Amino acid sequence: MDLSFSPEQLALRDEIAKFARQELNQGLIERDRDESFSREAWLKCARFGIQGMPFPREYGGGEADIVTATLAMEGLGYGCRDAGLIFGINAQMWAVMMPIQLFGTEAQKRRWLPGLVSGEAIGAHGMSEPDSGSDAMSLATTAVQRGDRWVLTGTKTFVTNAPVADVFVVFATTDPAKGFLGVTAFVVERGQPGLSTQHISKMGLRTSPMGEIVLDGCELPADALLGAVGQGSKIFNASMEWERACILASNAGAMERQLEVCIEYAQSRKQFRRPIGKFQSVSNRIVDMKMRLETSRLLLYRVAWLKQSGQDAVMDAAIAKLYLSEAWVQSCLDAVQIHGGYGFTTEFELERDLRDSIGGRIYSGTSEMQRNIIASRLGL
Amino acid sequence: MEIQETIHAYLLTEFGGDRDGFEPGENLLAQGVIDSMGILKLVSFLEETFGIETDDDDMVPENFESLAALCAFVERRRSE
Repeated sequence: MDLSFSPEQLALRDEIAKFARQELNQGLIERDRDESFSREAWLKCARFGIQGMPFPREYGGGEADIVTATLAMEGLGYGCRDAGLIFGINAQMWAVMMPIQLFGTEAQKRRWLPGLVSGEAIGAHGMSEPDSGSDAMSLATTAVQRGDRWVLTGTKTFVTNAPVADVFVVFATTDPAKGFLGVTAFVVERGQPGLSTQHISKMGLRTSPMGEIVLDGCELPADALLGAVGQGSKIFNASMEWERACILASNAGAMERQLEVCIEYAQSRKQFRRPIGKFQSVSNRIVDMKMRLETSRLLLYRVAWLKQSGQDAVMDAAIAKLYLSEAWVQSCLDAVQIHGGYGFTTEFELERDLRDSIGGRIYSGTSEMQRNIIASRLGL
Repeated sequence: MEIQETIHAYLLTEFGGDRDGFEPGENLLAQGVIDSMGILKLVSFLEETFGIETDDDDMVPENFESLAALCAFVERRRSE
């Protein structure tokens, strides 16, 4: 396993961190309070090349390899304190753009990828339903073929970007008798009769709009089919493997930023006539944060390396996703505790990090599901 | 017959609940006996027990929908 980075890769990470620090953090406390999505910040990221980074140049992308893209997303997390924005971008990249890139026809790629890369379009991925979450493939949304058209009926929920999205990758069963192997993927555009979206409020990642997609007899042309009929399970699993491998890269960057904030505070804040960092109860907590950060990085880049070298990464992606999400929650709790009363205030922005971090244990498969995936790979 | 007995015993242990057995042609997908989590275990079992390799393109109902389909899939892979 090669975990060394080139000077160009490291420079890109630093450049993204600088861009993010300068351009993406304005008015964040207010935007979080108001659950306000910043289309302007989204477009800035797209212009910088973030959404398109790992995608082919012919669709406007940067064609970066996965290790470089992971490092870039780490830099984004280090510089950008708006975890909701980063989360929304990741959801689009790995669960909308990647399946279109991997399974779409040339016409589908040309139709949707350039707009998603440029930021003119926003994508959303609809799988969860009111009655199917972790058991995602037991979905109830149906797709019935009528002549050369498909008619979709059902409700998708907890869909990141749904209220603002222009393009939706949604999953429906075309044959319930085939169980999860009867699940099929479709690409739906906003404006299609029978499609509507609703906003859902949440505790964290509040700058990333989440909502429901209602498909009420939504009629689609034949070319809305993504991949083959019955290939939805394969498409979903591929998307999730990418998402689990990459979506938390920015959290490693955020962990580093938070660690630096805590060290600085522990050095400057004095109680009992000495810096609080001189108390082992504080310094040990910071050491644990550092250990979590370094372990997270090793897991993250191992998965990136596995995927880059074309190896199976299902279990490793689950391990990375599980570890990083849990580590991020614990480090957020530590950061709040180290800052005491200040950590509890909105102004210090650590309570927002904590609220944002909780989502990581739930989205892209809960921590419990990651353990199930790992257990099944161990033959248990 | 040996393949069928081995797979049947595994299905019964892992997914059988309080059932006594599965008919060879019984649809395991429609009944939810094999679901999206279960197939990960099942594939690992088939690969280890019968020394076969599977890839994403094998994940079609024709290979997994019944005990008979599973046996045919394993036999096909072993003969390749």
